[in-house]
Formats: sequence, C-alpha cells, structure tokens
Amino acid sequence: MDRENQATLRISLDGEAIDAQQGDTIAAALLRACVTTFTRSVKYHRPRGPFCLAGTCGQCLMRVDGVPSVLACRARAEEGMICERQNGPLGVDADLFRAADFLFPEGLDHHHLLTGSRLLGRAAQEVARRLAGLGQLPARVRESAAGEVRMARLVIIGAGTAGLAAAFEAGSQALLVERESRPGGAALLFGAQPPPAPACEMLLESECVGLYTNDTKLPGPALLAVRRAGHLLAIAAERVIVATGGASQPAQFAGVDRPGVYAARGLLGLPLRVGTRLAVVGDPDGSIEQHQCAAALSRKGYEVFLCGIPRRALGNPVRAIDTADGERLRCDAVAVALPPAPLHELGSSVGARARWDGAGFPLETDAEGRTSVAWLFAAGRAAAKPAAESGAAAGRAACL
Amino acid sequence: MPLDRKTIICACEDVTVHEIDASIARGYGDIESLKRYTGLGTGPCQGKSCEAGAMRICAERNVVPKEAQVPFRARPPQLPTPLAEYAGLPPEITGERVAQPGLRPTWGAGPQPLQPREPLPARADIVIIGGGIMGLALAWNLAGRGAGKVLVLERGYLCEGASGRNGGGVRAQWTTPDLIELARESIDFMGRFAQELGINIWLRKGGYLFLAHDDETLRRIEYGAELQKKHGLATRVIDPGEAGEIVPGLDVSKFIAASWNPDDGVVFPWPFLWGYAEGARKRGASVETFTRVTGIDAAGGRIRSIQTDRGTVAADRVVIACGAWSPTVARMAGVTLPNVPYRHEIVSSEPLKPFLGPLVSMLGTGLYFSQSLRGEIVGGMGDPAEEPGLNQSSSLRFLARYSRALTELMPRLGSIKMLRQWAGCYDFTPDRSPVLGKTPGVAGLLQMSGFVGHGFMMAPAVARRMAEWMGGAKDEMFDRYNLRRFAEGRLIQETFIIG
Repeated sequence: MDRENQATLRISLDGEAIDAQQGDTIAAALLRACVTTFTRSVKYHRPRGPFCLAGTCGQCLMRVDGVPSVLACRARAEEGMICERQNGPLGVDADLFRAADFLFPEGLDHHHLLTGSRLLGRAAQEVARRLAGLGQLPARVRESAAGEVRMARLVIIGAGTAGLAAAFEAGSQALLVERESRPGGAALLFGAQPPPAPACEMLLESECVGLYTNDTKLPGPALLAVRRAGHLLAIAAERVIVATGGASQPAQFAGVDRPGVYAARGLLGLPLRVGTRLAVVGDPDGSIEQHQCAAALSRKGYEVFLCGIPRRALGNPVRAIDTADGERLRCDAVAVALPPAPLHELGSSVGARARWDGAGFPLETDAEGRTSVAWLFAAGRAAAKPAAESGAAAGRAACL
Repeated sequence: MPLDRKTIICACEDVTVHEIDASIARGYGDIESLKRYTGLGTGPCQGKSCEAGAMRICAERNVVPKEAQVPFRARPPQLPTPLAEYAGLPPEITGERVAQPGLRPTWGAGPQPLQPREPLPARADIVIIGGGIMGLALAWNLAGRGAGKVLVLERGYLCEGASGRNGGGVRAQWTTPDLIELARESIDFMGRFAQELGINIWLRKGGYLFLAHDDETLRRIEYGAELQKKHGLATRVIDPGEAGEIVPGLDVSKFIAASWNPDDGVVFPWPFLWGYAEGARKRGASVETFTRVTGIDAAGGRIRSIQTDRGTVAADRVVIACGAWSPTVARMAGVTLPNVPYRHEIVSSEPLKPFLGPLVSMLGTGLYFSQSLRGEIVGGMGDPAEEPGLNQSSSLRFLARYSRALTELMPRLGSIKMLRQWAGCYDFTPDRSPVLGKTPGVAGLLQMSGFVGHGFMMAPAVARRMAEWMGGAKDEMFDRYNLRRFAEGRLIQETFIIG
C-alpha cells in the first residue's frame, strides 16, 4: 500500500536521518521508518506513540525545528526538518525514569506525596519541577504573525458530510471552514468519492481554534478565531453551524497507551500500513463502527481480526493482546474502533448544552439543529445526528 | 470485566482508573472536580480523548445523576495556538470593546442536580456563605477553636469561584502595612501547609519581579520597597540589567527599574481549597457544596436564619465570604456593599521545562506571568475597557492583548502555544482594600470580602485573625476595614494591584 513513485525527502530524528515521502506527516514518515516510540509520558515516563493520527490526542508531540510539542501527526515532513523526541532526559527509547511506573504500583498520588516532612516535601518538589514540563523553550524568536479580519453571515465549521449538506442548503451566504486540505471529512476514510465543490466560499487548511461571543464593533453575535497559513483569521458572524465531527477515543484496557495501539480511523488515514496483522477492537457486542473500520482496513491490505475490548495489550510496540477470555492473540498492531466522541468543545465553550449519551457529549439540538445558544447550530456527529439530514436541516434553519 | 487499576484514562497527564476512583471516593466525583483533582483533561489534548472515558467510568459507578452527566466547561483554544499568532490580531479585535453578558454559571437557574439529598442542619452557630478560600480557611480556624457548629455553604463545586481561577501568585510586596503583614504570615503558613493539612500546595518561592515603565511607577516601587524593608522583607529596587539576569530573555528596554523580592512565589490553587475543606470537616465543620443561599432573615436588625434551596438554617452569626458575589448576597440582608465585580481573564500555556523563576508583572499594563510547577506559563492582564459585571466568559480580545504585551516584553515566548483560557471575577472596593468585620445595622452579620484579586494569598492570616476576633480577641484590623469607612471617608488606598 506504500505509495510508489513518490519523491523522497530526508528529515532527521534525534540526529539520525530518516527518509520520508512527499506529503507525509512527520508521524507517517517515522512510522514508515518503524519508529513507534515518539515520546515519554509526563508522570510515569511510559513510552508513547501516535494514537489518533488526527490531531485530537496529545501522544505524538515532538520538538520540530526547535519548536516544542508539535503534533507530529499534523505537521508535514519537509526536507531537512529536525525532529527531536521530548521528555526522555536519558533517552526516549530506554528512559530510566520509567522506574516511576514500577515504584508507584498504585499510581503516584501527587497530592499526598511526602506531606509528612517539610524537608522531603521540598526535595520532592524540586524533583517534580525538573521532571515536569514537556518541551524546552523554543530556540529562536518567532515574530508576531499579522492576522486578518473578515465578516460572514453564516460560518459552517467542518466540510464533512454534515457541513457540506448545510452549505448546499445555505448557498452563497455561507463560508465553509475546513481544517483538512480537501472537503469530505470522515467519509473519505471509508472510500467515499470526493464531494463536488460547494456553491459557497470554502477555506481549506483552516482550523477554527476558538468560538467566542463577539465583543468587538464588528457585526454579528459570534466571533471565530481560525488558524490558517501560520496566522489567525478572526471572523465575525451572524450565525454559526458546528459540524466538527468527532474525535477517536481510546478504549479502556491495560496498555491502551502503548505504542502500537492506534485509532482505527487514524490508520485509515495513513498513507502506509503499520504491519500486516491487525487486531480491530471494539465494543463487546460488535458495533457498526468496528465492522466498518475492519472492512475498510481490510481493503487497505491489512489482515484483520475482530475482538472485543481486550484485557491488556503487550509488547512495545504492541505485539499481542490478551482477550477478555484470557486468550493471547498475536498481532502487529491494535486498531481501536469505538464510535468517535462528538467534538462539542467549540459549542459548549460558548454555553451550548451538551449531554452524555454513552459515547460522548453531543451538543443538544432541536430538529432544525438549534443549540441552546440562539445563533449557534450543530449538525452531524457533533450533535449525534445523521450527517446529511441534520446538516441540511441546520443549513436551511441557519439561513438569514 | 474489572479494569486493571493502572489503566490509563488520560494519556496526556497519566491519569489512571485508580486515580479516578480515589477522586470519587474523596467526594470529587462531579466532572469539574474530577478534572481538577486528577488533572485529567488539563494536558495538550484538553480532554478530547479522556473526557468520555472518564464519564464512562462515572456512569458505570453511578457517581452522578443523569442530568449532571455533562462535559466539563470547554475552554478555548480548541487546538494549541502560539502567542505569536494571537499577538498579530488587528485593532478590530483589540480596539473598542462592546460589553457582552457573560456565560451563565454552570449551576444555572434551576435546581443543581449534584445537590446532596440530605437535609441541612436546622441550626448552626456560624454559617459561612461562600466556600472559597476565605470561607474554608475561616471554617478550619473556627472549628479548631471550638466555635460550635460551623456550616459552610458553597453554591457550586469547590474551586468554582475566583479561588479556583487565579494564577496562584503569592507575594508580600504590598504598599499598606496590613497587607504586608497578612501576606507574610500567609506565605509562612503555605510553607507548612502540607504538614498542617495533609495535602501539597507546591509553594515555589521563585520571587516576584515588578517592572516599572515610567518615573511615576518607579516612585511607587521605591515607596513600596522602603515600607516593605521596614517590615523585614528582602525587597530591593533593581536596574533593568539585574532584572534581565534574573529573567533571561526580558527586553530590558521596556522598563526603567524593577522591584524584586525573592521570597514571594506561586502555589497550586486547587489543593489549597481541598486542604482547608477536608481539614475543616475533620474538625467537625460541615462544608456543603451545590447549595445556594436564597435569603437571609435579618428582621429587627439581627441575623435569625438563612434560607437555602435545601431548607432554612437558624443561626445568630453569618459570614459573607462570597468574593465578587458578596454584594448580591449582602443585599438579601438589606445591606449594600460598595464592592464591584470585574472580570479578569487568564491563560495557561503548554508545559515547558523550567526556565522562568519569578512571577513577572508590568505595573503599567497589569501584565503578569509565571511558570507553574507543571511547567505552564500562566498569565493575565487587566483591561481598562472591562465593564463591571459578574462575567466569567473568555474573549479573543484578551488573548490578543496579552499575547502582544507578553511577546513585546519577552520575544522568545512567541512560539509557545496557549492551551486553555478562562476568567474569574475580581471583587473591587473603592479603595482596593478589603471589607472586614461587623455590619452596621445588622447584628451578627460579618463581612469578609473585597480582596480585589488577592484574597487567595491573604486567606490563611485573615482567617486566623478573624476566627480569633470572632472568639472575642481584640483586633483593630476589623475596625479599620469596617464597612463604615466608606460612609465616613476613611479610605485605605492600596496601589499594587495587578491583573
């Protein structure tokens, strides 16, 4: 499945050269080179590798060209890029601070650690301070990046199935904001054809990082901060539709945080395979998500087997799982296929209600996609509604 | 299938199933408390891959009712975003401001689903309204003195108000003798807090560095340093060169002098509250969260009872320690406080290895920033355009203004990414000094408010003295800071307010 006839480029990891292909993210390039430990965790210095491969978890942070804690799964590899692994003071591959994990078998209770003695407490604090923090301060000064401002009647956040359906209904008054380089969203992972271009303006590679109540003189009740091309674009808007989709979730089993355990959707988006034999784990009763992911991964060339949530994953990177029945099954990697949790954050940060539904916290909406905030609508997975129908309904209702 | 107790739920902060269970067992099972007590959701992903997992455990364990199964308040930004990008936002964002009503507090108008089912006691000797640092510290001190049945009423979770929203700075550099003494005693106490109350608050004495940008401010810091020296503090006025050695990377052309006290520092605010609350409970006091006061019966000029959404409690003495909400509560007893609430915003960065010792503050703009023990750069800045009001929402305007001011002062911070912004309310008084002691016209009603954003760092000493004074000891501080002074024109000006 590895792409052929791709121009190669070279990056470095901790001083060693790594070949990458044009278009690879740093994470893809490293996985291609069989690097699976990307960093060490903050407290127990457990080895960590990428999980979601979509920028929603924090397991692949790396120092890139002197900038700390860059998401390796989102940053494109560029010729000569210098990547350094963080938080392994004595080397990330064999980090002696890993001992913390074994010294505190019940977990490290920082609230009550050494409270009995002032002297020991102070010593613990000194150690804690040195061990805390992930990256080193950036090596060079980054000048401020001039931002932009614009106005819009309706902003739709996310050009997946729901956002595109909303844009189709809203027509030219909508402004579609999409973080990826093409529209289509999660449907593309499952083999959907790229959708036709919407009839409205679309900003690609533009990620909404903040939604606010507008306190400027610009018209409209909403204010968005959108990150694009290394600067911020502020958009004042009359109406906003959140169609942000969902975030892949880790399952709950021992070793879920080990390198070699990935989100199934993350593996679907990778331009390479991370091995051959893949354990696709999901809810015990076998969810639609698990079957869909397994089928798509199988089309991608993996040899897949389905399994409920295992008891534990073993190896670094993971080479086997123990199932709930105690059976040991060998695999090259584990793909966790739970339904993604709704990305409610933009909506709930401005006060829109979201409630637990057993898988996540979808934004509460009425039949037309209205949230509890007058100017805010939600559609698709962000609202736990069928994408096309809820997107279209919100697109019609949010029109001015 | 039982989960391995060390199964990781939050990979960013290494939070395990065991830690979640321990937090629930201590009474911190609601999602906001769970986040604060375990640290889940406070790392680079801000909860996007652990919040659902944590709620799944809570739902399985039946910890909270269905109506309370909500996410913790999401805080911008959605994705770590560098200071340099916020700093470049144009004047349309940072210029003229149009006041907006804030977010509704999470407890809303209806009954709080997390409210305990048990009835409140029918009677208490002392009711403290407000479970912030002042109220909890007072309860611990009172209960230790055998002051009878002490009941603290908090309408949200512990840490919901300003005590859980501040940057954790603690300093003795003040310009009135009372505040210098209160702060010094409090910082001393913080040094032994873990031994006294059994929980770490991680006091780190990295010092406070106040920068003066003009001659007028220079005169203020010189006056302050003289006064502080008289009180035995190590404060010195230093030149920009020396300040630049203490904090490498500061643009020393941006200020003309600095006031430096190496004994000030920062603490981690949340365990400060939990420690006092648990300590007060151990001494027999009751701390009731998610309980709202709805009325105060002060018929005939004396306190008789207070009404709550969990019933009425008879009491002779009531303390108002509600921070910025104090005027609202005092009004229930027919008392007008001169306090005015103002929003102050704050932001925390990605965690970095230690490089910044002190808390640095620019006195002219109210910019301040420090590095927490976890490595985050935590900072804020005042806004002259802020309207009074109980507003706890976040703004892009703040991030833009803060980022510009911070990167101008310390350009090396430009590529540091912001993780989480939030806001709390300062409780402003006309002379920026607190309101303490008896209430003219209402016997039994005591005031403990008006700390203008620094009550957090004064609480141990204020609460000790207040408990002793309530027990009959003489302490003229409670006359000096009486509410009467505003009517009588005896104001006590404090000038070292930041944020």
